[in-house]
Amino acid sequence: MKFKDSLISRRKFLNGVLGGWLAALGATIIQPVIKFIFPPYQEPEEVILPAAEYQLNQPNSFKVFRWGNKPGILKRNDDGSLTAFVAVCTHLDCNVTYLPEQRKFYCACHDGWYDEQGRNIAGPPPQPLRTLEIIEEGENIILRKREKSA
Amino acid sequence: MPKQNWKEWWEERLGLESIFSFLRHKEVPRHKHTLWYYTGSAILVFFVIQVLTGFLLLLYYKPTLDEAHQSIQRLISEVPYGWLIRSIHHWSATMMIAFVFIHLMSIWLLKSYRKPRELTWMSGVFLLFITLGFGFTGYLLPWDELSLAATKVGTDIPRAIPLVGPWISELLRGGADVTGETLTRFFGLHVSILPMLIIFLLGFHLYLVQKQGMSVPFQGELKKEKLPYHSFWPNFVLRESIFWLILFGILITISVFFPRGLGNPADLLAPTPPGIKPEWYFLFIFQTLKLFPATILGISGETFAILFILAGVILFFFLPVIDNRPTGRKGQIITWAGVTLIIYALVMSIWSLL
Ligand code: FES
Repeated sequence: MKFKDSLISRRKFLNGVLGGWLAALGATIIQPVIKFIFPPYQEPEEVILPAAEYQLNQPNSFKVFRWGNKPGILKRNDDGSLTAFVAVCTHLDCNVTYLPEQRKFYCACHDGWYDEQGRNIAGPPPQPLRTLEIIEEGENIILRKREKSA
Repeated sequence: MPKQNWKEWWEERLGLESIFSFLRHKEVPRHKHTLWYYTGSAILVFFVIQVLTGFLLLLYYKPTLDEAHQSIQRLISEVPYGWLIRSIHHWSATMMIAFVFIHLMSIWLLKSYRKPRELTWMSGVFLLFITLGFGFTGYLLPWDELSLAATKVGTDIPRAIPLVGPWISELLRGGADVTGETLTRFFGLHVSILPMLIIFLLGFHLYLVQKQGMSVPFQGELKKEKLPYHSFWPNFVLRESIFWLILFGILITISVFFPRGLGNPADLLAPTPPGIKPEWYFLFIFQTLKLFPATILGISGETFAILFILAGVILFFFLPVIDNRPTGRKGQIITWAGVTLIIYALVMSIWSLL
């Protein structure tokens, strides 16, 4: 039914109101569900390692540590400094390993290679390995996420 | 109650007579391509085996980070016939996927997807993806080294899709990395969500097949003559059951002589072991991804590759829309494209194994 001067019929109006209401109801249901299916996991901001366990006296020696759900590799360089890598391939996320004899990181998934500074040198990896900031504080070695740019 | 009354009692309440009479009168045309009709029911046989062995495996499997690998270890070493049930589940999955591929390509080459069977084709393509989804999620569940690495790569690939990519990957993984969360998710998909979807789609697919009858390849329909036929019940079903028995024999033989093994337990922090390969049915995609260089025109090669594959998938899905000529016409380009696709997949798969 439609009044003389009205633009839409009563049915259209009611359908619109009901439809809009249903859409809004749907949205309020969907939104929390979408939130729900993504778990609240965050990458750690920092990880603290006991220095005693990570002495690494020999140059070119390394040790694996836990960086959230990923492996990390702490490595003693020839000049005595330490470098911490997130030991995950920048290609498709496989865990890499350090081969001290060859002084290279190796990813077995698709034959990816990085040099001892973590630069991608062969195979598919598109970027160098991520490194972490290292702060040596008495008994502890603190590894911290770098700001985005690095 | 006398038998007649007993029948009537059910008929009055269920009213299934129309379905029975439909099946009694159903005809399956006989011609030189009749053989391909068997591929559909072969898939069904494997599907049923998957469901049944899946129920059995559920009795012992524990879908958690700490227990998954151990529970499979126990299943195959201690539970009576556990190794066999698991092996059958594995090999039946393999054969089911093989028959899905054969079924689809036979329909492509015989052009059976043409009007009015467009929706049958499209639901079939969905069924293909669900089947592959079963394979992908099931592969992770034993939680050994290889399955962890394959899943890491497999769930990282969608990341290259522009805009929604990272979102999809995180959704699948249940976080930024493959962890115990992923295992739980994949388990839920494998035993609950995907089964529900497949039952629904399979029902739709089979309904369409009954509704439209068997497709007859072009030569027959062109001449408009009535082809000789088997009546579906019992003649054709009995013929099919011979084929099912042969397949079942092959399945059991393979499962016994090539039992499915179990690798070392997955370790989230361990370096990836060498020799990572996805299951055979993903090899040609895996190899395609490898072929693209790291960057093309400034875009990452992976993004390019994945868009290329997605385009292929969309074309595949819309095949009946692309080739919408009436049934009965030949389609040499389509045949040629189908053959190319088969050769491509074979060559790529073999290449990736070298
Ligand atoms: S994931 Fe490391 S080379 Fe592909």
